[in-house]
Amino acid sequence: MTRPMHPTSPMGTMARAIAMAMALLPVVLSAAVPAHAQGSDDGTTIAFRVGKVITMDDEERVINNAVVLVQNGRITQVGRARAVEIPAGSRVIEQPQAWLVPGLVELHNHTAGALGDLNDLVYLANPGLRSLETVVPESPNVKRARAGGVTTALLIPGSGTNITGFGTIVKFSGPTVDDMVVQSPGSLKVAQAGNPERYWFGVGRTMMNYNTRRTLEGAKAYHDAWVRFESGESAERPRFNPIYEDFRGLFTWDMIASVHTQQYQVVMTTVDMLANRLGLFTVLDHSTFDAWKTAPLVLEAGHVMTICGPRAFYLDPTQRRFNGIAARWWQGGLRDLGINTDAPVIPQEELSYQAAMGVYYGWKPYEALKGITRIGARALRIESRVGSIEVGKDADFGLWTGDPIDPRSQCLMTVIDGRVHYDAAVQRVF
Amino acid sequence: MIMRDAEVRRAPSPTVPSARAGATGPIRVMPAIGGRHPMAALLLLCAVMLTCGAGRAGAAPWQDDAGAAPPATEEAAPTAAADDAAERWLAIRGGTVHTVSGPVLRDVTILCRGTRIAAIGRGLEIPEGAEVIDATGHRVYPGLVAVRSSGLVGADPPEETTDAFSLAAVTALAGGVTTVFSGSGAYKVAYRSIDDMVVRKDLHVPLAYGTRDPQGRRRLRENFDRLRRHQQEVEAWERRRRDEPDAKKPDEAWIRGDLARYRALLRGEAVAVFTADRVHDLLQVVDFVEQYGIRAVVVGATEGWIVAPELSRARVGVIVTPRARQDADDRLNRENGSNIENAAILHRTGVPVAIIPSQTGVSFGGLGGRDLLHLRLEAAFGVRGGLSNDAALRAITLDAARILGIEDRVGSIEVGKDADLIVADGDILHYATHARWTIVNGRVAYDKQAEGIFDHIRPDGDWDAPPPADHWPRRLGMPW
Repeated sequence: MTRPMHPTSPMGTMARAIAMAMALLPVVLSAAVPAHAQGSDDGTTIAFRVGKVITMDDEERVINNAVVLVQNGRITQVGRARAVEIPAGSRVIEQPQAWLVPGLVELHNHTAGALGDLNDLVYLANPGLRSLETVVPESPNVKRARAGGVTTALLIPGSGTNITGFGTIVKFSGPTVDDMVVQSPGSLKVAQAGNPERYWFGVGRTMMNYNTRRTLEGAKAYHDAWVRFESGESAERPRFNPIYEDFRGLFTWDMIASVHTQQYQVVMTTVDMLANRLGLFTVLDHSTFDAWKTAPLVLEAGHVMTICGPRAFYLDPTQRRFNGIAARWWQGGLRDLGINTDAPVIPQEELSYQAAMGVYYGWKPYEALKGITRIGARALRIESRVGSIEVGKDADFGLWTGDPIDPRSQCLMTVIDGRVHYDAAVQRVF
Repeated sequence: MIMRDAEVRRAPSPTVPSARAGATGPIRVMPAIGGRHPMAALLLLCAVMLTCGAGRAGAAPWQDDAGAAPPATEEAAPTAAADDAAERWLAIRGGTVHTVSGPVLRDVTILCRGTRIAAIGRGLEIPEGAEVIDATGHRVYPGLVAVRSSGLVGADPPEETTDAFSLAAVTALAGGVTTVFSGSGAYKVAYRSIDDMVVRKDLHVPLAYGTRDPQGRRRLRENFDRLRRHQQEVEAWERRRRDEPDAKKPDEAWIRGDLARYRALLRGEAVAVFTADRVHDLLQVVDFVEQYGIRAVVVGATEGWIVAPELSRARVGVIVTPRARQDADDRLNRENGSNIENAAILHRTGVPVAIIPSQTGVSFGGLGGRDLLHLRLEAAFGVRGGLSNDAALRAITLDAARILGIEDRVGSIEVGKDADLIVADGDILHYATHARWTIVNGRVAYDKQAEGIFDHIRPDGDWDAPPPADHWPRRLGMPW
């Protein structure tokens, strides 16, 4: 019997190509050196002289005629051009018309494993699998993402089973996987209803919820036992379990649960089970259809974030109305609200366009831009490093010809860790 | 009660500043309520009833007298329904009018009579009984032309089978799309009325001439050669006939079906349509078009930017999707793959460009931004690739109409053209913009605040409007 596959994720069609992928991977890794990545990690300063900086900092400052200084991969100064002194010997990048915007952050990306080397449909719960093994630097997806101003992404397994493994937080830099990885495991990918029931005959919501709960409760018991042992509360050293060991970060919030969950009733279950009962930092990764109706529950839980996509709207058939997913969550009181593409469902380079769709269907432009920068970083719990233009943070940003979520605007240059990783003047991609 | 046509035509032309500009003040137009003035509607109804009663004894005013309509012809002739509508007036005043074919006009009135635009200018007198739209603060554009569509027009013949109340149609209208190509003809997006929906039929003849089918290419050339030889024989016969009246005309009975369509192409009466994306296929099309001197359009043209001069030389028009995505194959020792600058490069090289999104239907599944509702934003991606805003707008209006061969009817705001208009709450290429009213054939076909589908989104420009009530299921924290 053919195993049911996720209809939209790349994993489904790719299982046959594992052998080819294994053969190709070393070749790709060795050949993947960006020709024009010019860095600041040798101590030299790069000065970006731009027309506008959208800082996305706590004061939500927007600075016109600004200079951003970068050294050793970090932002060292941000301010009005006349207030910032550019050190002698700096490399100056003059883009006096451009907007400098934090690098875009994608929370739901399936492009790792695009060579078919990720099959998360082995068991109904697959704790222990990692998307890390399938990250391909300098793949066409990576290059296109950079051309769309996307600098950070959570590469996750699919949603064909209830627990499909651990995601990897990467930057779209290179040339090696080590250069890219920000955190691994970066999230536990949980899939509630909407795909895993096709895994096998008889897998309904009761079975799925039981299965997810049982797996996570086992992991929590393991973690609690170790906490008791490490704090001296218990003298009994727990038996080491290589699978549950990876889960421990979940219960200390060093890692998030990124959850494929959509529709009113399913999202209620997600919040109740994962956030309230298991205490996980929970990111609702689709939040689509009529899921916005759970807004009061999400607000009450406190440690739940909502990242909408790839669907931008829900056509309510009984009321004959197009509801904007992000707009309805916003109207329900959510403020930590993000956007995702589910790449390659929506191409990764169109993350900014997904934000524009949120606005078309009723959201607000600034909030939409915030949703793909600062909020994304917050949801990944790496807000101290990325998501805004502030002194001390990673120098990850894009230079745009205008409002980044306007499809008419072009990303001119993408900088990751202080290196120019995409320059449209050298080779335009998007 | 209703101003005569001739009087209106004396109104100042749009390009000449009006001597009567000051006259706009005294003309009192009550603010439109929900896009329609109730009194105006009532007066109009009275007028229609009187006209019907006088002209067509026995016919109830709501009957469209379809029995008297002439049989459908290739050119949509004015039907009885259109005659009834001839005294229907619609005035759109106060908006900034993007004519597309001419300058942007500020604070002018567009006067529509029946299905056509009757006058554009400042200080136009609005006939009593006219439906008035106050477009102050809005922008007026010609209705958008979608050169490919699916699911909006019924099966042949569309004017008899199209669903006049489909959600797809009203959604397309919300996106400003008023004319769509379907099958081989161009049709208006029919909503609540299928009167005058046929713009023109038999516009395009699809041909296959790809590199993967050399036998098919040979057969097509043989057919065209045969038709061309026949044409020469006919010409020779016409010359000979002067001396030999009994000379036998070459047999034409075999020119049927596809061959008849090919002959229309050779005579320049129709346009050939090819689907081709890669360089080698595009060059085959160019060869064919130049060899037979036919008019042609290429759908796809993903690699058109590489052979733009060749396409321009062959006068081939293109229908492109700026976001088309074809990764370059680095093993090929030449340029290949898609290019976001495709539309801009083709346009710059003189190739007529129409833009179409990757999904040519209206999508209800939730993935936004790739379907016909967002045709205008696909054009915005053309701007990203280097098209000017004007050129991008033309690629979904006038240039799209030219590629279909219906530019005499639609695609720009000009006196005499069809009254297909969008009154939008912002720049049509901006992502936040919604159509406030969409007008098809001089009728308000879409009224955002009257239709339920988008009325809750920024009503009257209010970005902080409260959410609509969800009746079922109840929201958490709300009483039953």
